[in-house]
Amino acid sequence: MGNVIQKARDLFYKFKNASSETRYKMVRKSSSVLFSLMRYVILIAIGYIVLYPLFYMISSAIRTRESFFDPSVIWVTSEVTIENFKLAAHIMDYGKSFLNTLIYEMVAAMIQIFSCSLVAYGLARFEFKEKKILTFFMFLLILVPSQMMMLPIVTTYTKLDFLGILGLINDMTGVDLRVNILNSVWTYYLPALFGVGIRAGIIIYIYLQFFKGLPKELEEASWIDGAGPLKTYFRIALPSSGVVIMTVTVFSIIWHWNDYYLASLYLYAGSWPLAVKLSEITSASELGTLRISFGPDNPESIAIVMAGCLLFIIPVLIMYMILQKNFVKSIDRVGITG
Amino acid sequence: MSEKNLNTEAQAAAPAKTLKLGKKHRGIESLKSTYGRMFVLHWEIGLLLFFIVPLIKSLYFVFCEISFAGGAFQYTYIGMENIDYVINENANFTKYLQTTVGSMFGSVVVIVILSLILALLLNQKFRGRLFFRALYFLPVIIASGVVIEHLFSTTSGELSSSGVSDSFAANMLSVDDVLNWLSLPTEIGVFFSTMLNNIFNLVWNCGIQIVLFISGMQSIPDSLYEVSKVEGATKWEEFWFITLPMLSRTLILVIVFTMVEFITAKDNAVMSLAYTFMGSTINYGTASAMLWIYFAIVGVIMAAVIGIYSLLFLRRWDTGGRS
Repeated sequence: MGNVIQKARDLFYKFKNASSETRYKMVRKSSSVLFSLMRYVILIAIGYIVLYPLFYMISSAIRTRESFFDPSVIWVTSEVTIENFKLAAHIMDYGKSFLNTLIYEMVAAMIQIFSCSLVAYGLARFEFKEKKILTFFMFLLILVPSQMMMLPIVTTYTKLDFLGILGLINDMTGVDLRVNILNSVWTYYLPALFGVGIRAGIIIYIYLQFFKGLPKELEEASWIDGAGPLKTYFRIALPSSGVVIMTVTVFSIIWHWNDYYLASLYLYAGSWPLAVKLSEITSASELGTLRISFGPDNPESIAIVMAGCLLFIIPVLIMYMILQKNFVKSIDRVGITG
Repeated sequence: MSEKNLNTEAQAAAPAKTLKLGKKHRGIESLKSTYGRMFVLHWEIGLLLFFIVPLIKSLYFVFCEISFAGGAFQYTYIGMENIDYVINENANFTKYLQTTVGSMFGSVVVIVILSLILALLLNQKFRGRLFFRALYFLPVIIASGVVIEHLFSTTSGELSSSGVSDSFAANMLSVDDVLNWLSLPTEIGVFFSTMLNNIFNLVWNCGIQIVLFISGMQSIPDSLYEVSKVEGATKWEEFWFITLPMLSRTLILVIVFTMVEFITAKDNAVMSLAYTFMGSTINYGTASAMLWIYFAIVGVIMAAVIGIYSLLFLRRWDTGGRS
């Protein structure tokens, strides 16, 4: 104790006797220490709000049935069980649904990342007449939710047609060339390929803002050196946009991963991805055989739902952790100066 | 930026014309615009097939009564009846519209500022940065899907965001107890608990914005900060004269995104009203009418925001940040 007081006194005299320059340095140092302390306080305080539901999920997912009725248990039980996870995985048919998510959603997400970047590059770097109206449609695409076009989209998919040409052929010759693509991968791949998939508008907009901010000099140089537009795009523009590609990849994957509205609209029960299975977990038929009724009053059901939620978010979390490292790496863009 | 460039291009083209090379110059320009069209061609087809045609169809539904008979949808044209019903007869719609648009502005401002502050903190180099970034990424995964709905329904027994934050907040700190203990007047207690509830909702809506801001900050060249350090700028000046101007494009992106998120969220008043109408086939036309009126109004507001923003900031900051 006395030691601390002695140190503080020493510090005070050092400060008092120091020249103005060292004084300034000392103040600056102590203020930066204060600032980093503040930073931790803010981040941890808000982080608590963020983490709370995760704690809640984990805490209720690992509980045994008895511990829910034990008043002495608040957060963590002494008996940890993985029974809830097993049940949730069984109800959600985890392996198959996971595969469905990969086949339908993740491939579409990857296609979308590429097709949208093409669109954004075209809009950001070239001048042509229709550009204004296309930008307008981009904002419409961002703004209009897919729920609004639910009925027309499904009718479009049951009889895929191009501007009524195939329908006209059907009327004239009786040969129906219109295919039903519902419950097939094309309900996801086609819109993704054409740059109008899940939240394509905002993805294009993210790319667009980035490309507009990217200095033109390198691309102009490559034009002068005789590279064509595609070569310039692949060799110059894409390699220097690592940060935005990473961001868009993360978003595209997550939005596809979380999509359950469109999946329940386009796909039949056999090919449902994880998100739909999770949203249907409370009304799954397997529960009848297990004699579990879902509701907020039945803690056992909460435990299973929370276990299902954890199983659902863990793959995305791992994906983010892996991409995160590249996120940091891709900070140092090479060869670009402001 | 682009206008400035256009000007210089035009100036470069002017003397060329006098040298009778004008034709060739126009040739390059038209070639470039052809390339531009090439890049967006697939998107134009997609827009036409999967967006514009369905959108026009849904506009047609506004003037229709839809019924489901014999395995197919029947559309009967009824004129302006749906619109008339929504505006004049439905008591809730106009009221909900006002509250939704009003609260949109408030929450957009707070979310943008909060996420900017958090992104600034997370973008600095400090111990545990990776951990905190992963932590603040959680809302992105959880808040935009099924998980949050399950969380709502299991914690409070009702599917409302206010319900869940009430119970979370109550579990977290139990404000009332603390206030009782401090023996403060109840008005302050109410103020604090609403603040806390809002903080919960707001933080949970910040995830994507934080990621966007961080990626925007990462694409600012380090050389600018090095120069400012040499010139002896303080952190405060660095923020106002480098970070913020260089983030001008990210900022408008985040503002647009936050507005859209708020507008299309299922739990805002207008959308949930429309969805209850959409539940039955017979009311689908009415629901379409509601959504079309809603999005027309919101679209005008958004266009105004984007226009004002780019007029005030984008032009000035773009040339300022780059020269």
